[in-house]
Amino acid sequence: MTSMTNRVAPRKGKPLDVWRWVGRIFLVLMLLYTAVPMIWMLLTSIKSGFAAMQFPPQWWPNEPTLASYQRLLDPTNSVGQDFLRFFWNSLFVSTATTILAVIVAVPAAYAFSRFEFPGRNFLFFAVLLRNMFPAVIFLVPLFILMRLLGLVNTHGSLILTYLTFGLPLAIWLLKGFYDNIPYQLEQAARIDGATRFKAFMLIVMPLSAPGIIATAIYSFIGAWNEYIFAYTFLNRNDKLTLPVGIQRFFSENTTDFPGLMAASFMMSLPVVVLFLLLQRYFVRALTEGAVKH
Amino acid sequence: MTTATGLADARLRKKAKREGILQQAWTRRADYLYVLPAILVMLVVIAYPIYYTVDLSFFNTPPGLQLRDKVFVGLNNYVVILGSDVVWRVTVNTVIWTFFSTVFSFALGLGSALALHRDFAGRGVMRAILIIPWVVSAVAASYIWKWIYHSDFGVIGAVLVGLGLAAHPPNFIDSVSTVLPSLIVVNVWREFPFAMIMLMAGLQTVPEQLLRAAKVDGASAWQRFWHVTFPHLRGVSTVTILLLAVSNFNSFIIPWIMTGGGPSNASHIWITHIYELAFGRQRWGIASAYSVLLFLILMSLGYFYVRALSSGDRKERGA
Repeated sequence: MTSMTNRVAPRKGKPLDVWRWVGRIFLVLMLLYTAVPMIWMLLTSIKSGFAAMQFPPQWWPNEPTLASYQRLLDPTNSVGQDFLRFFWNSLFVSTATTILAVIVAVPAAYAFSRFEFPGRNFLFFAVLLRNMFPAVIFLVPLFILMRLLGLVNTHGSLILTYLTFGLPLAIWLLKGFYDNIPYQLEQAARIDGATRFKAFMLIVMPLSAPGIIATAIYSFIGAWNEYIFAYTFLNRNDKLTLPVGIQRFFSENTTDFPGLMAASFMMSLPVVVLFLLLQRYFVRALTEGAVKH
Repeated sequence: MTTATGLADARLRKKAKREGILQQAWTRRADYLYVLPAILVMLVVIAYPIYYTVDLSFFNTPPGLQLRDKVFVGLNNYVVILGSDVVWRVTVNTVIWTFFSTVFSFALGLGSALALHRDFAGRGVMRAILIIPWVVSAVAASYIWKWIYHSDFGVIGAVLVGLGLAAHPPNFIDSVSTVLPSLIVVNVWREFPFAMIMLMAGLQTVPEQLLRAAKVDGASAWQRFWHVTFPHLRGVSTVTILLLAVSNFNSFIIPWIMTGGGPSNASHIWITHIYELAFGRQRWGIASAYSVLLFLILMSLGYFYVRALSSGDRKERGA
C-alpha cells in the first residue's frame, strides 16, 4: 500500500476525469453499435420495396409508409393470415412452456437448496451439465422419439423440448434464490404448526417471487426465440412459430426487405417490452442466484 | 443469512452420516418427489437421445431414416470423419468463432458495466438500450444484419463508400476472408449484454468502503480497478466466461440463417456442420458420430463447467 501511495501522490489532482471521459466515449460507441442496427431495421420497415433497394440509400425515407405493417396485420390477405397465425402459435407455445417450467422448477430448486438426500449433488450436477450440450446433438434422436410418440407437427413436441432445455438454468437461478432465504423463517412457521407445504407457500413463495418472475421471463423469451427444434419438428404451415415462419417468409420473398424488417420488429417487440418491464427482477435474480455466493 | 442455512445443513449432514446410504435414501424418500418431475423430463428427453446417438453412430442409415434398414459399420463413421479435410476446417472455424466471440463479448460487457456503474442522468435508458440486443431473437438479428451487410444495398457498405473508404460496397458475408469476422460482430452484438448484466450484478458486491479507502490512500482509478474491483469480480467473471464460451461453441442460428456455413465452408462451425450432415445430406450415421465426438469434447470440459457454476455451493459447505 505504501509503495502505491508514493507512486501516485504527485498527480493527486484529477487523474479520475480521464477515465470518466474514456467511459463516456466508450458508452457512445457501444450505443452506436447496439442502436444503429435497430434504427436501420425501423427505417427500412417504413420504406417501400423500391425505396429500400437504392444505392446510395435513402438515409431517411422520402415517403414513409406503414404498408408493410398493414400487410402483416391484415387477416384478409395470405401474408397477414400466416403472420398472425405464427404469432398466435408462438404465444401459445411460449406461455405453456413458461407455466410448466415454473411448476417443475420450483419444487426441484427448493429440494436442491433445502434437502440432503443421497445423490443430491450428483443430480444437481447432471442438471447443470445438460446445459452444456447443444441442441443439435439431441436433434436426430429427439426427432425419432417425437415420431415414435406421434408428436411431429404438434406444439406438444416443442413444449416438451423447451421445458427440458430451459430447466437447468431455471433450477440453478431459483436454487440460488432459495439458498438466500433463511431456513429459520420456515422453521419458525413450522413450530407454529404449519405443514412444510404451508410454510413453503406462505413464507418461501412470496420471498422468492422475484426469482420466479425471472425464471418465467427466461423461459418465455427462450421459447419465443427458439428456432432449431421448431424448424426440425414442424413442417405444416399452420403449426409454425414466428422464427421459422419469418424464415419461410424470407425464402418466398427474397427481396422484400421492408416486409422482413417489419416482421423482425413485430416479432421482437413483445419480448423486448416484457423484458424491459421486468428487467429489474431478472437482474436481481442473477445477482442473488449467480453472483452473490 | 447463508451461514444459518449452512448450520442447519451441517446438522443434517452429521445426522445423515450416522445412517447407511440406502436407509438414508429410504427415510428421505419424500424429498425425491420434489425433483422427480424435473429428473423424469430430463431422462426422457436427454438420456434416451444420448443413448440413441451413440447407437446410431455405429450404423449407416438410409436417407429416409428407416431404422429397420440400418447397417452396422463399426467404427467406420469415425474413421471417415477423422480422415476428412472438412473436419479440420470446421474445427479451426469453431475455435476462432468461440474464442473471439467470448473475448469480445466479455470485454465489451465489462467495459459497459464499469461505465454504467457510476450514476449519471440517462443511465437507466442507456442500460436498457444496451440490453435489448440480447432479447431480440437470433433469427431477427440475423436478418437485420444480413440486410446491413447486403452487398448491393447494405448500409455499412454505403457509409464506407460515402466516406471514400471503399470504391464499392464490400462483400462482407459472401467472401471467404471476411465472413467469419462479420458473423462474430453479429454474435457479439447479441451476447455482450449478458456479460454486462452479470458483471453489473458482480460490481454491486464490491464494498464501497474498500474503494473509498483506496482512494484516500491515493490509488489511481486504474489501481483501484485492478487491486480492489477486479479481485471481487473474479468469481462472476469465471462463470460468465464459461457460460459465454459454452453458448458460443453451441451457436447455430446466426451462421445458419446468415450464410448456411458458406461460402465454401468458411463459416461452418461444428454445430452447423452436424446439422447439415444430418438434415441436409441425410447422413445420419456420420452426423451421429460427429455428435458423439462433440459430446466427448464437451464432457471433458464439463468438469470445469460444473465446478465453476457450483463453486458458491462448495464454499458454503466448506467442501
